[in-house]
Amino acid sequence: MTTDTVATEKPKRNYNVLFGLTLLALLVFLWILLSLTTASFASGNNIANLLRQGSMIAILAVGQTFVIITGGIDLSVGAVVGFGTVIVAMMINAGWPIWVAILSTLLVGVGIGLFHGFGIVRMGLPPFIITLATLTSLRGIGLLMTNGNSININSDEFTAFSRNSVLGIPNLFWMVILVAIPAYVFLHHSRWGRYLFSVGSNAEASRLSGVNIQRTIFMAYVLSGLLASFVGVLLAARIGIGNPTQAEGWELQAIASSVIGGTSLFGAIGSVHGPLLGAFILATINNGANLLNVNSFWQRIITGALIIIIVYFDGLRRRAK
Amino acid sequence: MNTLMAHLHPAGDNLESGTILELRGLEKKYPGTHALKPLDLAFKAGEIHAIVGENGAGKSTLIKLLTGVIPRTSGEIIWRGKPTALATPHEAMALGINAVHQEVVLCRHLTVAANIFLGEENVRFGILQQRAMVREAQQIIDDLGFDLPAHVVLGELTIGQQQLIAAARATLRGTKFLIFDEPTAYLTRKEAGQLFALIRRLKAEGVTIIYISHRMEEVFELADRVTVLRDGAFIGTRNISETSDAELVKMMINRSIDQIYHKEHFKFGATIVETKMLSGKGFEEVSISVRAGEIVGLYGLIGAGRSEFVTTLYGRHQKSAGSVLWDGKEVSISSEQDAMRLGMALAPESRRDQGLCLNLPVGLNLNLPIYKRISSNMLISAKREKEFADRQIGGLRIKTPTRHALASSLSGGNQQKIVIGKWLNHGAKLFIFDEPTVGVDVGTKAEIYRLFGELLSKGAGIILISSYLPEVYELADTLHVFRRGRLVASHGFRAASHEEVLTQAIGV
Repeated sequence: MTTDTVATEKPKRNYNVLFGLTLLALLVFLWILLSLTTASFASGNNIANLLRQGSMIAILAVGQTFVIITGGIDLSVGAVVGFGTVIVAMMINAGWPIWVAILSTLLVGVGIGLFHGFGIVRMGLPPFIITLATLTSLRGIGLLMTNGNSININSDEFTAFSRNSVLGIPNLFWMVILVAIPAYVFLHHSRWGRYLFSVGSNAEASRLSGVNIQRTIFMAYVLSGLLASFVGVLLAARIGIGNPTQAEGWELQAIASSVIGGTSLFGAIGSVHGPLLGAFILATINNGANLLNVNSFWQRIITGALIIIIVYFDGLRRRAK
Repeated sequence: MNTLMAHLHPAGDNLESGTILELRGLEKKYPGTHALKPLDLAFKAGEIHAIVGENGAGKSTLIKLLTGVIPRTSGEIIWRGKPTALATPHEAMALGINAVHQEVVLCRHLTVAANIFLGEENVRFGILQQRAMVREAQQIIDDLGFDLPAHVVLGELTIGQQQLIAAARATLRGTKFLIFDEPTAYLTRKEAGQLFALIRRLKAEGVTIIYISHRMEEVFELADRVTVLRDGAFIGTRNISETSDAELVKMMINRSIDQIYHKEHFKFGATIVETKMLSGKGFEEVSISVRAGEIVGLYGLIGAGRSEFVTTLYGRHQKSAGSVLWDGKEVSISSEQDAMRLGMALAPESRRDQGLCLNLPVGLNLNLPIYKRISSNMLISAKREKEFADRQIGGLRIKTPTRHALASSLSGGNQQKIVIGKWLNHGAKLFIFDEPTVGVDVGTKAEIYRLFGELLSKGAGIILISSYLPEVYELADTLHVFRRGRLVASHGFRAASHEEVLTQAIGV
């Protein structure tokens, strides 16, 4: 009995890791291919740029994945990013200390997440609907607050952060690591992570097992809102302005990254490393297409095709298992 | 005798008196269960043939085989003298075999007319002829004597009325063989009367009717012949004029007591829980109590209110009246977490819908109720997580390669062990088992019963719900009988006969 257990343990446990390795291999393959075919891809400047591009979507994708694991979806994250740039820009320009501005922006993200949780749990709205409503109205609120203008942030200290590097790695990418490690521990080594999976798999069974489903759902959307507002801070630092129309369509890129990274839209399947790799694969494709002078319209088509191919093969393999 | 008749009237052109459908050695096996043992049975054209038996007797399996929903393991189905594959529902319908199910399987958001013509719409130049269809549908409904409008949305009708529409739909498109699966479960008396009129009329038109019901009075009112199944096996067929309630009930019950029940008697301790006139959705004024060391059995037909009673006790639903005493003190249980905190555990009725996270690992399922306990601060102790999962996998002999395997990859019996194991991990004073042995093989059943003894010996109490009479009969120290949401009778261990209990549950 015990020997049985040990003998067959390895392959099943490693499935997630294996899929991650496949994605990593795809990413490395793309990098090698682009290094060989273009002169500028492998330059330090370009790599730093690529990491900056991918970082923000990667962080959004982690939050998105938490939500998708519960069987939900968060369409608001792009709008929250845009709104976040406005909040942080306004507060900095009003003379608040930078840390207060950042903290307030993050709190706004948490508030938006709480609102989503309230809509889903208390009002019984589908996640798609409540977050869609936030997506459109938040952009409107941001436009009202700014009269449709961009706000130039008058703090070099704040904007310098996004341009600087530590140990040769862009600060923005350090932020991915800062998010990814606690996110990993949370998802795979805390009971809250387990509850995200169990609620996404079978809410009724979880409930009868004593899991607080409402709290679990609140938590997923709060984390997604929090990470989105954090990305808003990062984006404001990067572009030096606050503008509510920024980050248009980022929610879809975040969902795409998550799905490419092996997250199931039916819930209960997902990881932290998957969406991160997914985000950087997408960033690489965009970056490479630019360098290869591929018409930017093609980038969108390639991204679409890639989503279909990767998810199809992932599904095939799951079924085969 | 039936098979003999079939041979006397082979391939009959003379269908009026001949056999329309014959089963030869029809059999269905699932992994771990023999749902239908080889069955020889012939249905005469134009008869009303009732099929009765306890839950798990094989009736549903038979219907699914006859309507092409599931494939058979072996045997032949002979339709009008010719063997037929009957591999898909479509094929069954093409032959003229149709079924009206216990639950309405129609589109609630479409109109009555749209439902009646679903799949065979009246179309002219690509445009739906809506008005013509409503007119025709109304004609059909009026013809059948149902006083229902054809133009309203189906969901606006009562469940009973919807059931009548489902029946009306099933009689169309050349149906020759129509199966009714407990059609009156949700009907009022008047609606049932209308349905019976329809059934008699179909019979007069030469349609063969299979009528499945728990209600003896309906069987005697309608049927020409009746077949009894028990534990997936054929017990006998009788002409209705030559049998009685008593004989059928006797045939339905397994008289030989299985070896698998090892009833241990423990000294009862203090009362753990007591309900006083507890009412809620689906049950009314139920008063029971459970003592330490006692198994309290709840018997009744499906839908009698037993599951609703225990899930309400467990805080899943709100009670509407009455009170619950725990350790002699009145308590309010408004959530599952309240119930768990008191010391209750519920292994629910449906593994798939309520018991398991199927696409998650066995280990996660086993530990789901106790993650709080095996975490320190925020983090789960990997060591304790493994320890608790492996303890149940070993102790219950759950057949899984590892705790990382998905619950869905296990057999039904092993899945049931996970549902139970998760509550053993948690520990409790009162264990509620709702149909713990459905779809479970005999060996696993015996293991589950042995486990009951262990729990009782440690001073726990058990509420056992089962629709399988021998199980509650042989295991329960106190047996309560439910019928239509009410507790109608209570017996001590083996104090009443099987016949008595079944009669009380059916309400003959």
